[in-house]
Amino acid sequence: MTDSLPLPLVIRDLGFRYNSRTTPAIEDINLHLEPGQIVLLAGSSGCGKTTLMCCVNGLIPHTYQGYMQGEIELYGKSIKGMGLAEISKHVGTLLQDPERQILGTYVINEVCFGLESQGMPREEMIQKAEKALERLHITHLKDKETHYTSGGEKQKVALAGVLAMEPNILLLDEPLASLDPASAREALLAFRELADEGLSILLVEHRVEDVLEINPEKVIYMDNGRVVYQGDVKGLLETADYTRIKLPAQTVMRRAKGKPFEECCFAVPAFDPQSEPLVSFQDVCFRYKEDGPEVLHGINLDIRAGEVIAILGHNGSGKTTTVKQALGLLKPTSGQVLLEGVETRKTTVANVAKTIGYVFQSPSQMLFAPTVREELAFGPENLGMDKETVSQNVDWAIETVHLEHELPMPPLALSFGQQKRVSIASVLSMKSRILMMDEPTSGQDYWNYQSFMNTILQTPGFDAILFITHDLDLALTYANRVVVLYGGQVMADGSPYEVFADDEQLRQWRLLPTSLLKLNREMYAQTGQFLRAEALSQLAG
Amino acid sequence: MLVAWNYRYRNSLIDRIDPRARLIFSFAVLIAATSTWNSLLLAIIFMISILWYAAAKLSWKDTKRGWMMISILLFTMIVVNTIITGGGAGGVVPEGGQLVWPDGFNLFGRHLTFGLTVERLWFAVAQLMRILSISLVFIMIPYTMDSRAYGVTFRKLGLPDRLAYTMELSFRFIPTLARNFQVTLDAQRARGFELDSVKGGIFNKIKRIAPLIIPVTMNAIVSSEDIANAMDLRGFGQQKRTWLYELKYHWWDYAVIAFAVIMLGGVLFLAFGRGMRLFHVPQWWYGLFN
Amino acid sequence: MYSNEVSKQEKKSLWRFGTKEVVYAAIGAALYAVVTWAFNVWQIPGAGNVGVRPAVVLPMFFGIAFGPIVGFITGFVGNILADLLSGYGFWVWWDLGNGIMGLIPGLFSVLITNYKSGGSILRAEISVVLGVLFGMGLAAVSEMWVSGADMNTVIFGNFLPAFLTNVLWGLVLLPLLMVAYSAIVSQSGR
Repeated sequence: MTDSLPLPLVIRDLGFRYNSRTTPAIEDINLHLEPGQIVLLAGSSGCGKTTLMCCVNGLIPHTYQGYMQGEIELYGKSIKGMGLAEISKHVGTLLQDPERQILGTYVINEVCFGLESQGMPREEMIQKAEKALERLHITHLKDKETHYTSGGEKQKVALAGVLAMEPNILLLDEPLASLDPASAREALLAFRELADEGLSILLVEHRVEDVLEINPEKVIYMDNGRVVYQGDVKGLLETADYTRIKLPAQTVMRRAKGKPFEECCFAVPAFDPQSEPLVSFQDVCFRYKEDGPEVLHGINLDIRAGEVIAILGHNGSGKTTTVKQALGLLKPTSGQVLLEGVETRKTTVANVAKTIGYVFQSPSQMLFAPTVREELAFGPENLGMDKETVSQNVDWAIETVHLEHELPMPPLALSFGQQKRVSIASVLSMKSRILMMDEPTSGQDYWNYQSFMNTILQTPGFDAILFITHDLDLALTYANRVVVLYGGQVMADGSPYEVFADDEQLRQWRLLPTSLLKLNREMYAQTGQFLRAEALSQLAG
Repeated sequence: MLVAWNYRYRNSLIDRIDPRARLIFSFAVLIAATSTWNSLLLAIIFMISILWYAAAKLSWKDTKRGWMMISILLFTMIVVNTIITGGGAGGVVPEGGQLVWPDGFNLFGRHLTFGLTVERLWFAVAQLMRILSISLVFIMIPYTMDSRAYGVTFRKLGLPDRLAYTMELSFRFIPTLARNFQVTLDAQRARGFELDSVKGGIFNKIKRIAPLIIPVTMNAIVSSEDIANAMDLRGFGQQKRTWLYELKYHWWDYAVIAFAVIMLGGVLFLAFGRGMRLFHVPQWWYGLFN
Repeated sequence: MYSNEVSKQEKKSLWRFGTKEVVYAAIGAALYAVVTWAFNVWQIPGAGNVGVRPAVVLPMFFGIAFGPIVGFITGFVGNILADLLSGYGFWVWWDLGNGIMGLIPGLFSVLITNYKSGGSILRAEISVVLGVLFGMGLAAVSEMWVSGADMNTVIFGNFLPAFLTNVLWGLVLLPLLMVAYSAIVSQSGR
């Protein structure tokens, strides 16, 4: 620290309580940012990191009201009394979901939004926007429609929109949440580059393992609204709760040694390679429009009882499009999909639902009923089950996800995690034979998604389970079969050990080897299967 | 569901005219055409509209859907209301008049009487010219106007920043919401939901929409909070806005506006000052039916 | 250390049009366009400009929830955008009519205290009938002026079909949306 220049950001004894709450969301926060620093702020959801960000970027108190204590200074000047426009000249914020941050129809319009709001003359605006695009190496996207850019591109476009306003401090709110591993890595490298150019970055993320790769100068671990740890990376690895945030596998293995741990067991029946396939893809090709490009090129895939399949692939590799073929939501352009021997072209989606239960990614896109009970009854009623069966199924489904007390509540009034569980229960209640899930862990923090996956896999009643993900660790710990899609083709299909054999190959599929994979490979001679780090620590002598 | 805007740059005369001048022209036609039933004036306006439409170089393939809709409209309005029942002309053409078939006519061996009058038939022609003039001018807007231009056009025509920007923001979220709508539809279908298999009466049919419209709407409202924050964090509404999309008047834009003003002024003058406002049937038309 | 209260208690003002309202209006209009467009297949030919459109509930609901300006824009801009998407052109009096269907419920929004109470729902339903009456009334009357039809034709050919379908869709769907919205309000503490 120098005494001559004030620091970009200093926070002293900060506390905040929302008007609608009785307990503070954050308390006694002290931290500072130096130029060129990346500070990683880790913690599980509800730890107060979002509130802290809102205090810095001015949304508190301008949009959210409550009681604030302490002091925040930007370059030695208190932000009290500063308007949002003034704060935004220093602090740029990248929100979690780029889909909701992007305001322009075209990339260049998006990048110019903040400058337009400042009333900047057009020529100057274009100059700054072009500079921002160049900084992130996305000049080629300039005239594209934002809606048609990929997830990773969207993130960078949104970031360019923030950078165009030339802030000195960047707040990044879980920027990796929606990205596949390769795009996440690219984004992280871009953040490092910006910090090296002199920006101060406060990065909120629970995928700690990934962030460590770009060597954050400082890490902060928050829990329950308080800073639990602040210092270098090494210290964090020793203090942070490894069930709450995702730490490198080696660290978890070392620290979990001797601690009680329950390995998740699959409830699906034993696998029999001779059994009739439940679902069978035969040379499935697909294009959305007759004259459009082909997006699936000859998919062959059999799903049998006893399998827990992870469909793995980068954003846009055709994972969801493939699964929709099984449901009959999309019909193959050529080839066929057989469902227990019946072609999906010859049946209705409603009929398919008796066999396959499909859980969509975002619960809020399906919940509508005034009570949880009605929500769960919707599926079975549609399938024409009688009242008694419906009621039995609903009771069973809600017990499975442990939300019995919420039956009379409106689903939309529940928390995100609870909504996610209601959405799965509303599919469970149809008692389908196969469960399929699209990105089952999205939007949940590390702790929640682990317990969620454990619950699902231990739920009896399914012949097979399939989930779509771009999280390699999820695939290798929870699946007994992995299918890798790349560019609309099946690139690999087999046990996790077989599919994840070659790092170079993984990189080509835009999947990155993780520390857990490396560890599992090293110990494979001993384990004979892939396990979670906690389980490995029990075995390592 | 893929949203495809109908706009395309066609390198036409219209493409070269400033959107503001185009809107002013369009509204001048609308007002002119609706302020008179005089067939001569309507014929002149109709000719101008045809030229304007031709200048946009639109293909039939592009505009087919719109014209189908307008054909249905015109059919009900003119064939059903004006020619068959007569109510479509009732606001302008008085009762009575000269019958086209005073003695009735024979069709498939049956004798029919039909109260269509010569006056009403001429009114149908006037009506056709009026509605077509308006249609020609307004149907081309989606095909000729860049979605990025609406906000700034309305801003420069005098709407406040916030209202004009609302329009621009709407365009941004249409493809996102269309995709969300598709996702919700798929999610509910995967729960056995079928829109068309509804038992029960009309209320149940309408209620059947709830599983679609509720998630889509609520989801949109929840994301509004983030969107508003994203805007506030980039200083929205704190100052007078500038717009990236550039609008520039050229001499020909002034000419278009001047023409529109003169045309409208002329029509209004002739209609209200020279008694050419009301419907009237020319003598030669009666001659055809004697 | 000191403590200070930073609560600018904002009164629920009828004509407020801040950033949030800009977003609600834009989202409402876009949603109206998308839903209309998605249900275009349900159009009954021969009913004039009148289609069977569940989307009509959106301006009413956005009016009730976010006030008259948001309600009006949802209907007015929404109808313009729907026609742009379908390639139908630009029909200003029907656009205005749709706007009024949101404006009038918006005026009633001050009377809505709790989105799931019977009284509030009743007041909202009354506003639906009034909104459609004035909105479709204006559109139908201007049709008379534009096309020269007589009162009877306009009432039976344009107004009644539009009035009845819109009121029906509005009355049935609006309470469902209000109840769903009340859950969201309680969840976020809005």
